[in-house]
Amino acid sequence: MKNSYRNNIKQVLSDKWLIYSIIFTYIFITLIPLVWVFSTSLKPNDLAISLPPEFLPSEPTIENYVFVITEPRLVQSLINSLLVSLGSTVLSVAISALGGYSFARFKFKGKNLLLSIILGFFMIPIVINIIPLYLMLSEIGLLNSIFSLIITFQILIIPLNIFLLKNYFETIPRELEEAALVDGCSRFGILRRIILPLSTPGLAIASVLAFRFSWNEFLLPIVLANRPDSLVFQLALYQFISIYRIEWGYLTAGINIALIPIVILMLLFQKQLVHGLTASSLKG
Amino acid sequence: MQKNKINVEPYLYLLPSLFILVSLLLFPLLWNIYVSTHDVSILTILKKWDFVGLKNFYDLFSDPKFYESLKLTLFFVVGSVSAQFGIGLLLAVLLNQQIKGTHVLRTLLIIPWSVSTVITAFSFKFMYDDNYGIINYVLESIGLDAVGWLSDPNIAIWSIVLANIWYGTPFTILFLTAGLHSISPHLYEAAIIDGATKIKRFFFITIPLLRQFIITNLILITVWSINFFDLQLIMTGGGPLFSTTTTSLYMYREAFEFGSFSGGATIGILLIVMNLLLTFVYVKIFNRKTSDQNEK
Repeated sequence: MKNSYRNNIKQVLSDKWLIYSIIFTYIFITLIPLVWVFSTSLKPNDLAISLPPEFLPSEPTIENYVFVITEPRLVQSLINSLLVSLGSTVLSVAISALGGYSFARFKFKGKNLLLSIILGFFMIPIVINIIPLYLMLSEIGLLNSIFSLIITFQILIIPLNIFLLKNYFETIPRELEEAALVDGCSRFGILRRIILPLSTPGLAIASVLAFRFSWNEFLLPIVLANRPDSLVFQLALYQFISIYRIEWGYLTAGINIALIPIVILMLLFQKQLVHGLTASSLKG
Repeated sequence: MQKNKINVEPYLYLLPSLFILVSLLLFPLLWNIYVSTHDVSILTILKKWDFVGLKNFYDLFSDPKFYESLKLTLFFVVGSVSAQFGIGLLLAVLLNQQIKGTHVLRTLLIIPWSVSTVITAFSFKFMYDDNYGIINYVLESIGLDAVGWLSDPNIAIWSIVLANIWYGTPFTILFLTAGLHSISPHLYEAAIIDGATKIKRFFFITIPLLRQFIITNLILITVWSINFFDLQLIMTGGGPLFSTTTTSLYMYREAFEFGSFSGGATIGILLIVMNLLLTFVYVKIFNRKTSDQNEK
């Protein structure tokens, strides 16, 4: 009996080593491209593609970063990206909060049908819509505008966020609202004064997701807005290919700048994101 | 009197989202059908669009490039989905074991999920380069032959699949981790008392209880892989010699490179059909498995 117990411990220990080594191998392989890009970004632009490659820059420099944040076109595109991402985050969270509240608190005809339709919308691949969207927006003269990006990005985000916020609102006890209703507060007042303040964690997850989708989106901008005044940063990076016969030093610095806001958000909200996904799937 | 009236309030709250979804998602989807049955190209876009019936579909089905693109899509989807799912499931399960530091490990694993397609494409393009790419440098320095990662038409599609595995696997890890969290630990405790081995617990507890997550995950990553072309567009533009033009990229190139919007819309409709068929097949297969188990 004692012997088998000891064997068990041995077994568990060796299992753990196996588990750790698989996970670490995977993480190592996963991080290589990013580390290599980061290391390249710190080399002088002329040395970015020199052979043999320096794995660590011998004389690290930030000149590539300085280039990116001083080149007027790139600066403009960074501003555009921030405007588009913040705008579409605020809009999508506002719209999804209204929709989510409706599903969480009202009983009405066609509720389940509407909910499955909205979730079904999440399955429609945006890619298939790029040609009609391009033709539609060109017809009404909205191509190449920041507004059209904010509006079209909504279709990427709303279905997911409605679902997420609906589930979050449902975790808030109804008693609080009933008291307010008795006091003569309107439904909208309840949403604004009670539900939203109590839902900050849920709203935070929804915002992070919305920001990530908007900041990283490449396909809709390349089709709908590729002129300099409405260029977003991801697209500006893509245009390095044609305009500057890939200057890898500058490009790798641009990549890292594009990564900063998202990585920070992901690291801050990592736990909530996994939890949010779990909670929403449990009830779905 | 109030009771008989329909309460419009809940519908009002839903109005903004429905308005956007219907006008920018549903309407374009249907309009695609209209465009595919008319002659719309860069030349006719500002003029009247002539109705051409099913001509665009005939043209597409007699286009050998379309079949070539279907073959490439098959490679891309099978390669991406099997690896993303296999690796994703393995890592989600490993991370769910009772080991220390899962929090930190999961954070490290999620980092690639915050990376955009543009960044993925460029990072890999940089490493794959024939002249100064780090991968060929390493291969040559350990005495192996250099590989034309993106310049060899037989290899390029697989190089992009590799980049897509890197890009997409974190989603599966995250999604299946959420699924594993939903399984009650009591079930495992009971199974351990009954003497079930690790392997048995995996196949008789984890997999069945994870089924709903697995099927949703498979549908999502399959549909995404079919429709995805960001990486191909940035890394190779569909070349060399069409060798990385999957069907979805072919749709984009038809419209925005060759100027035939109706040709692109026609391919788009076939993509929708492919998406629906595959979703249907997955649901069928998994439902049959369920009923088999119930009979036993």
